[in-house]
Amino acid sequence: MPSAAGRRALAPYAFISPFYLLYALFLVVPIGIGGYLSLTEWAGLGTPLWVGLDNYTRLFGDGSFLTAVVNTMLYVLFSVCVVVPAALLIAQGLNARGLRGRDFFRLTFFMPVVLSPIIIALVFTLFYDREYGLFNAALRGFFGWGGIDWLGEPSWAKVSVMLLVLWRWTGYLTIFFLAGLKNIPRELYEAASIDGAGRVHSFFNVTLPMLKPVTAFVAVTVMVGTAQILEEPMLLTEGGPGEATLSVAMFIYREAFTRQQLGYAAAAGVVMFVIVFLIGRAANAVFGVGRER
Amino acid sequence: MSDVTRRTFLRRTGLIGGGLLAAPVLGACGGGADGGPAVTSGAVTINFWTHDPGYVKTFTESAKRLSDAPNGAFDYTVKATQADSEALVTKMISQGAAGTGTPDMIGIVISVFPRVMTGGIGKQLLLDLDSVVAPVKDDLLRTSPYSIDGKLYALESDTCLSVMYYREDEFRKNDIPEDVGTWEELAEIGARLHKKTGQSLGTVATGDNTSITNAFLQLLLQRGGGYFDQSGNLILDSPEAVEVLDFMAKGVASGFLLSLPDPYGAPNTAALKNDKLIATVMPNWYNVYGLQTNVPEQKGKWRIRTLPRFAGGGHIASNLGGTGFAVLKDKPNTAAATELLKQTYLTKEGQLLRFQQGGFLPTLKSLYQDKDFLDVEDAYLGGQRLFDVYTPASEDSPVFYQHSQLNVLIEALGGPMLETLQGKKKPAETIKEAVAAYNSKKGN
Repeated sequence: MPSAAGRRALAPYAFISPFYLLYALFLVVPIGIGGYLSLTEWAGLGTPLWVGLDNYTRLFGDGSFLTAVVNTMLYVLFSVCVVVPAALLIAQGLNARGLRGRDFFRLTFFMPVVLSPIIIALVFTLFYDREYGLFNAALRGFFGWGGIDWLGEPSWAKVSVMLLVLWRWTGYLTIFFLAGLKNIPRELYEAASIDGAGRVHSFFNVTLPMLKPVTAFVAVTVMVGTAQILEEPMLLTEGGPGEATLSVAMFIYREAFTRQQLGYAAAAGVVMFVIVFLIGRAANAVFGVGRER
Repeated sequence: MSDVTRRTFLRRTGLIGGGLLAAPVLGACGGGADGGPAVTSGAVTINFWTHDPGYVKTFTESAKRLSDAPNGAFDYTVKATQADSEALVTKMISQGAAGTGTPDMIGIVISVFPRVMTGGIGKQLLLDLDSVVAPVKDDLLRTSPYSIDGKLYALESDTCLSVMYYREDEFRKNDIPEDVGTWEELAEIGARLHKKTGQSLGTVATGDNTSITNAFLQLLLQRGGGYFDQSGNLILDSPEAVEVLDFMAKGVASGFLLSLPDPYGAPNTAALKNDKLIATVMPNWYNVYGLQTNVPEQKGKWRIRTLPRFAGGGHIASNLGGTGFAVLKDKPNTAAATELLKQTYLTKEGQLLRFQQGGFLPTLKSLYQDKDFLDVEDAYLGGQRLFDVYTPASEDSPVFYQHSQLNVLIEALGGPMLETLQGKKKPAETIKEAVAAYNSKKGN
């Protein structure tokens, strides 16, 4: 039995222990098990068979995995170079003085995030259809030509997934930018105006610098999130045609849950973790997340 | 709280909270909840997992009948869990690893079955049904898709015979004979029809790999080819495979076949609704789940017939899809679940009930000659006697051999096949490429 002083010293640790227990149980232990499984061959039942680094060796020679990595990189690039700027521009538009129906627009842009992915997949499959789809019908209507095989042609299938990402996540990111824009003092724009700055100059010399912390946060979360993209390609194309839209997360899912190669999938998971971690660190360094303005 | 200090209160609540947190953790580690004495008679609750509400209906009704039967050993209650077919197997394996919480009976979709063929999962969890089916073994139509190392682990729920669905009114309007003898003749007619009216007489899929390859597999089996033989050897690299793929590619080019991303999705429904697609090769379940669901207004206009033969030979039918029902072994309810499965799938009464409840075709050969089935007419198909088509189809349908690496082959085949259907690659080249890719990936 510890002394009263000992009990007093232990008490704070006892109070904070639930967090650490849960943290260990639901994060540290699964990560550890994942790391261990990546060094084994295991179908899900029975004892895993130790294979050392074999899974990793095979992984880097697996054309499907390399395809998935390249595809994922393209999705990340698109998200950072197109989705984030689009969200910023929409936020800028929504922040305009005297805009009527601002809440309606905000609701409209946010709607895709709360819609069920299943419904999104159903609707977009129809939109993208070569024969009956809305997009081709619109192209035919406006330009007299619209025979794009959005989901059947490998390169167009990638574009289709990216457009879905754009549609789905731009509105969500807009909310962050809008919150950032609201926090920029009006006086700065007034001062810029007095100095003769027009709208474009104000945007580049006031808005962008003041939004740097928000932009950094958004860019990093988008990069990390997109590096783990699963829903969009899975629901729209199931990674096809062929493996044209396969992402790393889908590759992991496929290996684990259609081939029962949990050890191999775990190795891919570890590699994905390393990639995402490095992307996150690099983005942090570039954008300066957490640094003062 | 006169007698309880704040510190004591916090300590006690802390202990209670800790206990609550620890209980499920320890419970999960303990396992063994599936143990207990075997139930040999009386009240029993069968945990039944399936992806299809039709099976819930069938097994619930069957359980009720068995419970009400005067000599029934069990008083059944069916507790059904319905979820995605992949998720069910994932959950079953997870629960199997945990040693608790597995179902008593599970429906495993044919395309998901390769998962339980891997790593000895099927053998560890599922009951070997060889002794159960022994009395009717020669009468069973399909066992190969659910067999592992020659032993049967699931009973086919539906024979899934592929036939040709066609619009009688449109065929008549366009002077297309309903009894065209060969695919080659029909392809010529289809090309002319497409040129004239824009209509098509079949589909190919261009979406995900499974859809792309399913249409091919259906025709390949009909032609007499296949993916694997009985011993598990890859037999894809064959003249039949090249011929079928060439036939499909030419069909797409001529417009005889319509390319759609998903053979069951919205674009397909649109093609049916606006009379662009007036024939298609599909299994029996397409009647209820495809046509009646999506184009109810076309009731009475559709008919079925056996498939035109390929000039080079083959069968007059094919098959696609299916669900095997398996019983989990070494559980208290194993005997009761086996009895329920046996009575539902291996008796005439059970098969008739399944057909009436969900439209599932008999899985026993002898029932294709049974009057109760032969007399069935289908109102949606214009009152057509179904077994005038299904009986000859059942007598001349191909065998599909399952393989643990089937999904690897589908992934290897999907991409190149799509390129062939788009006219970018020669069929022979595609088959060679897919075989090479499969051989390099199958060990992964």
